[in-house]
Amino acid sequence: MSRLLLHFGCALPGCYLAAGYLQGKLGVDPEKTIIWETGIWAFNLLILVVLLPRAARWARWPMLVQCRRAVGLWAFTYVTGHLLAFITFLLGWDIFRLGEELLKRSYILVGFIAWITLMPLAITSTKRWVQRLGPGWKRLHQGVYIAVVLAAVHYLMTVRSDYAWAGSYAMVVILILALRFAMWRQTRGPAPLSAATRKPATTD
Amino acid sequence: MTKTTDPITYQRRRLVVATLGVAALSTFGYLRYGSRQTKSISTAGASTSRTNDADARYSQVAVTTKHAATHYNNAYEFGWNKTDPARHAASFHLRPWTVTFDGLVERPGTFDVDQLMGLPFSQLEERIYDFRCVEAWSMVIPYNGRPLAEILKSMQPLSGARYVAFTSLYRPEEMPGQASPFSTLEWPYVEALTIEEAMHPLTFATFGVYGDPELPQNGMPFRITVPWKYGFKSAKFITRISFTADRPPATWHQETPAEYGWYSNVYPDISHPRWSQASERRILGEGQIERIPTRPYNGYGEAVAHLYPGDPQQYW
Repeated sequence: MSRLLLHFGCALPGCYLAAGYLQGKLGVDPEKTIIWETGIWAFNLLILVVLLPRAARWARWPMLVQCRRAVGLWAFTYVTGHLLAFITFLLGWDIFRLGEELLKRSYILVGFIAWITLMPLAITSTKRWVQRLGPGWKRLHQGVYIAVVLAAVHYLMTVRSDYAWAGSYAMVVILILALRFAMWRQTRGPAPLSAATRKPATTD
Repeated sequence: MTKTTDPITYQRRRLVVATLGVAALSTFGYLRYGSRQTKSISTAGASTSRTNDADARYSQVAVTTKHAATHYNNAYEFGWNKTDPARHAASFHLRPWTVTFDGLVERPGTFDVDQLMGLPFSQLEERIYDFRCVEAWSMVIPYNGRPLAEILKSMQPLSGARYVAFTSLYRPEEMPGQASPFSTLEWPYVEALTIEEAMHPLTFATFGVYGDPELPQNGMPFRITVPWKYGFKSAKFITRISFTADRPPATWHQETPAEYGWYSNVYPDISHPRWSQASERRILGEGQIERIPTRPYNGYGEAVAHLYPGDPQQYW
């Protein structure tokens, strides 16, 4: 039941966009609306997917970890939709121009690399791959941090003069990285020499 | 030093996590959609239908619908979003409005905007121009006004005047983009043309669009329209026109010189660093968009190319 609700929630922005597009309710320039909205929801879900395990651990709430795969796949879906919308509406499926844009416009390259980074994570999200890759799976899936940083850079690079939105997202990403770093230090523990002098880490 | 945390603490933490999640989602929803939604409903009455009388008059030519041209605007004074200008238009005061002429000019002075029109608004000339935004979209818009040269000549510029500088309105209480702490643009907005460009018969002193003088989102009550340049060169909400000997600054050029040239003529071969200018998305109505190739000088080359002898790279 909760799983169904999760999928419904994640699909909602996309369905809303699709319905709005078909009914002509996305404003004067629906093409740009779709590009912007798929982008922002891809970013939202990417942020959610990196926060889920942190929150699950802190509140000892295993259900959140179970949500991670679905949210991650939805994030990848929105990133892919964002890319497809860009190729459709701004490039008109001119693949040569895609190559040209990737070479010339660094913000497009950065976004594209984020998509490439997420692709193997989406592919290896099945149980079979988790088993097959063993501990490597976890390391591979840390790649989501690379993607979320690239997303922040990509967003900042599109700004012409008002940094309110892109700046806020970049701040969130910086906070997430800080949190991740703090967790990493906690799990690894302090360096062996100073271990004795430092107060042992309390469990949460 | 507690090794185990009691279950109650975890339950509280779950509550915190859930609350934060809901709070984050609703804040996002409100900031991104909420404010836009409510205001767009409140302005909906102003433009009752999406194809109105104004549009019917232009059915012969492919003119952009008035609704599209008045609800999709770049006027960073009102905000960076293209729906911001229309949202804030209703509370903008179009009168009183004066324009000051100064600098290297025989007859400086301050004039009321109605004086500058020369004629009653309804009798002004109408010109349908292609409008090309630097962001690679374009519209076809009927402008109401008179050649800027007529106004400038009546002020009698001195022979030393080589440039004309335009200063836009600074009124942060009605223009929230000017009050935004996140905007990197300096206010007021300034733009400039060479005196030859300003005096060119195509350069149009504009007091309305679609026969409507009350459209702040389109730069009213007084703007200029320079159809062979990217849209931002056509200064909006003009309150001052200065004649100068030295090249005056221009807002976007000053902000990011690598992306916005001082001349900013439309050259399809010269890309903006972040996108190609070879083609444009021609917006003819809400959701009615087609991709067409961009023409040099936005199609007005025959009339204006002589202003730019030599390599176009000097005039991008």
